Amino acid sequence: MINYIGEQAWAGQLGHGLAIISFVSAMLAVVAYVFGTQQRDASWTALGRLAFRLHSVAVIGIVVVLFTMLFKHWFQYDYVWKHSNLQMPMKYIASCFWEGQEGSFLLWTFWHVVLGNILILNWKGRSTWEAPVMTVFALVQLFLALMLLGIYVGDVRIGSSPFLLIREMSENIGKPWTLIPAYLQAIPQFADGRGLNPLLQNYWMVIHPPTLFLGFAATLVPFAYAIAGLWTGERKAWMAPALSWTFFGIMVLGTGILMGGAWAYEALSFGGFWAWDPVENASLVPWLTLVGAGHLMLVNKRKETSLFTTLLLTLITFILVLYSTFLTRSGVLGDTSVHSFTGDGMLPGLLLFMLFFIALSVAVLLADKGQRRFYWGISLALLAIGVLLEQQVPAILTFAALSIGFLVVAYRKSFSTNDPEEALWSREFWMFIGSLVLLLSAAQITFSTSVPVFNMLLEPFGEFFGWLGKSTGSSFLSGLADAKLAPPSEAIAHYNKWQLPFAFITAMLVAFTQYLRWKSSDMAKFRREIMLSVIVSLIITVGVSLLLRYTLAELNYIALLFAATFAAVANGAYIFKVLKGKLKNAGPSVAHVGFALVLLGALISTGRKEEVSRNSKGMDLRFLNEGFSNNTDILLYRGDTVQMGEFYVYYREKDQEGVNLNFRMEYFRTEARDYRAGDTVRVGDMLFRARQDHRAGELFLADQPTHWEPLEDFRRRDLWYAREWSNTRPGEPLFELAPFVQLNPRFGNVAEPSTKHWLHRDLYTHIRYADLSTEVDSSNAGWMPDRLSEKTLGDTLVTPNSVVIIDSVYVVRDSVTVAMLGDRFTVYAAKLRIRDLYQADRWFEARPMVIYSDGVPVANRPAEVQPLRMRYGLATVEGDLNTRGDLKLGLNVAEAEFLVMQALAFPGINILWIGCVLLALGTGMAVWQRVRNTKSDKA
Amino acid sequence: MKRSHIIAIVIIAVAIGALVGSLYDSSTYADLQEAMAHPNKEYHVVGVLDRSEEIVYEPSLNASLTTFTMVDLKGNRSRVHLSMAKPQDFERSERLVLIGKATADGAFHAHNMLMKCPSKYNEEHSIEG
Repeated sequence: MINYIGEQAWAGQLGHGLAIISFVSAMLAVVAYVFGTQQRDASWTALGRLAFRLHSVAVIGIVVVLFTMLFKHWFQYDYVWKHSNLQMPMKYIASCFWEGQEGSFLLWTFWHVVLGNILILNWKGRSTWEAPVMTVFALVQLFLALMLLGIYVGDVRIGSSPFLLIREMSENIGKPWTLIPAYLQAIPQFADGRGLNPLLQNYWMVIHPPTLFLGFAATLVPFAYAIAGLWTGERKAWMAPALSWTFFGIMVLGTGILMGGAWAYEALSFGGFWAWDPVENASLVPWLTLVGAGHLMLVNKRKETSLFTTLLLTLITFILVLYSTFLTRSGVLGDTSVHSFTGDGMLPGLLLFMLFFIALSVAVLLADKGQRRFYWGISLALLAIGVLLEQQVPAILTFAALSIGFLVVAYRKSFSTNDPEEALWSREFWMFIGSLVLLLSAAQITFSTSVPVFNMLLEPFGEFFGWLGKSTGSSFLSGLADAKLAPPSEAIAHYNKWQLPFAFITAMLVAFTQYLRWKSSDMAKFRREIMLSVIVSLIITVGVSLLLRYTLAELNYIALLFAATFAAVANGAYIFKVLKGKLKNAGPSVAHVGFALVLLGALISTGRKEEVSRNSKGMDLRFLNEGFSNNTDILLYRGDTVQMGEFYVYYREKDQEGVNLNFRMEYFRTEARDYRAGDTVRVGDMLFRARQDHRAGELFLADQPTHWEPLEDFRRRDLWYAREWSNTRPGEPLFELAPFVQLNPRFGNVAEPSTKHWLHRDLYTHIRYADLSTEVDSSNAGWMPDRLSEKTLGDTLVTPNSVVIIDSVYVVRDSVTVAMLGDRFTVYAAKLRIRDLYQADRWFEARPMVIYSDGVPVANRPAEVQPLRMRYGLATVEGDLNTRGDLKLGLNVAEAEFLVMQALAFPGINILWIGCVLLALGTGMAVWQRVRNTKSDKA
Repeated sequence: MKRSHIIAIVIIAVAIGALVGSLYDSSTYADLQEAMAHPNKEYHVVGVLDRSEEIVYEPSLNASLTTFTMVDLKGNRSRVHLSMAKPQDFERSERLVLIGKATADGAFHAHNMLMKCPSKYNEEHSIEG
């Protein structure tokens, strides 16, 4: 036993201990609550409650221990070392906490504990719901506690613990340094951690994950109620208490997702707020089904016809949360997502977690006890086949087929009714349709995001699909045989194409369904009430279409524009016309307006996103491959003012603030250019002189006959220095933007955008490429790093815009130099003849110098050629000055400092953010109203 | 036929359509050899940056063109023209996924690239001693 010096091993042991307690107490809670449910015995339920409270204490204890470790900077712990360091501001400790797999699991578990305890407090020990609902909670907690234990079952590790010392990591066990008692002092790496990824050092990272995970946790409440209801035979009654929680989940999860979008937009250089990345999709899909489930619960309060669908959507929502966890944390996404976690051996545990709750959901839907046992039996047998015989894929596919089969059995046996169908023009019918549309939309996103999973499932059937492909001649089928499917190449276009029709239908339903009555509607009244909204929306749609220049080819955009406008207008009108402005009941309408505005904002800002930096005058594009003329980025030299879109942009300077390197740009209004009589301009290879004072028009050709006289006689030299004709010039300064690059040698540098916000649109700019040297050495300020090449007499050197010919090299011996430097120094100069690469007869000369002392270069003076924005320097001179081949010159070439920037304009993006706020606000109002109604019902 | 049956049929049809659509729109992972054998067909190619070859990025000529050499997982190599600005820390990248197509001239033209850096999310310790 080695006595390690300075180690805080007790914290890890405490954490481990608490993790074990949380696992055991969750298990105890499951058992006690199961008995409490089955035997309707209050003492079992009380024991379950006690166990769950113990579990809660343990989970909170784990959170406290992990936070303490992070606060105290105990870098001997792997989690602390990996996710934090000393320089990091304390406010980001929270981000460190949930940056890693283990911490974010812990966050999720923590929210379950909070919600579970709120439920227990509300029941006050008097509800029959407690035992079955909390059984489900405890089961979920059992799996999550297992994920934090990090134990080995055979060779397979299940979960991973955040309490491992670095010397206890499996890759370090047995290494010699782990035997040094003072290893913490001896090995410098332990003095500081690796730090938090700079991408995540952002206030959004402090609030986005907790919100998102609270949303995920909230989906457990309706799930647990649904399971409890089916288990205890209360097939409908579970919805009443679950309803408010469902809408609470819709609000919080929706807010969490949109916060992620806001984070991406504000702090990441993804070029937008939504990129259909698998990780984003994985959080959106459960929200869609949760919205469907919530609306179906409302339908079911009136009529039972859609009970099965309600249950299905409620159950599937939580399963999709588990599936999204599986996708993003097991490593299956691998190469398809930029920001998923790497697997780290989590796959088997996560897979079992999800499959168990699928099995549980199907089992409780089966009313027949014998069928239930049969289903569980076969599922267990398949598990054994999967694990013991290592036939995982066939076992999973058989399980999937079995589950679908039993779902059909359950539906036919206990849910299919011969009740008359609901009326076509009833609110419940269209709400039902809307929920199905949401389910389909969720299914489409899930399919496309699951492409890597399909590969895993297809792999064992390679031969089969190969044969099928050969015999049918379908290249599509033989493609499946290779199991090498990749996500769509144009992911954003793919999802937009598929989701736009779903969004259209959903928005139309959101618009008119509230105007229908339950059961059946008076259609004349319906038409009367909605007509004004239709007309107003049509007018707005036409107006906006003209404003945004939608063409008929973009009919799909116009259709969505109309549907979203209609939804916003109709729901806004509903508040005043039907609810008479009573805000108490306006929650749903406000939320619907918010949803419609989110769609509208997304449609306008992405559909009419403008690449402002595109097609600006860069250098010469003539020499480039045809396919690469799509220059979407602008090149800016320091000190230059260049026209970009409707602005002139001036790159003023760069400066360093802490780890951030700011690139300061000034923007100017574009003004019409005035010319005075006698001004000379260049157009092509011609020079023109202004006949009189005038303001430049659109086209030179139109101006020329009246305002410009061509010059007959000029030297070519005049051509090079003449200004090009332009009809605009920079006007008054408007604003400054400073996109920056966060310097982080460990994680890589991160470019962060800077955005100018107006009411009607945003200008979003970010650095694509820049010189990141921080200018401690001021001699290089304003220039890119030198590029050194070795040349000899008569050689040529081609740079991006010039051709350099080494004409001669000589020793400078003029009397001034010799008098100043004395004879210890030798000054060499090179005579360079430089040709503009793009203008064959435009020549320059440069004479850079280098000073040698005792055979060592000690100083040099480069020569600048301003018209080319180039600087030529002489680094070394060796050999005989007059012999080609023997003379070796080190020639430095640098371009003036520049950066490459992308600028995007997002019109109408504020509509999106207003929509987000209204969506959250309205849902919150609706939840509040429901909770109050439930309370007054009870009283 | 009841209305619910019609709805069920429509739902199933759209669902199958979406599934097939997802598969149909999906691209294919391939190595460079396969991509070269089918010019002008879109592929996802996984590989690493060849650090021994020059990475050419001349923003003053074209700010959205980076040219480099990639080695795929089978060791095939090809010159790649990526129509993007050179990403920050490109030299440090650990793994590249290029999305694009081969052309008849034997180069791979990528319009997009996913890049994994060694320490973005997870890194093993390298404490030796």
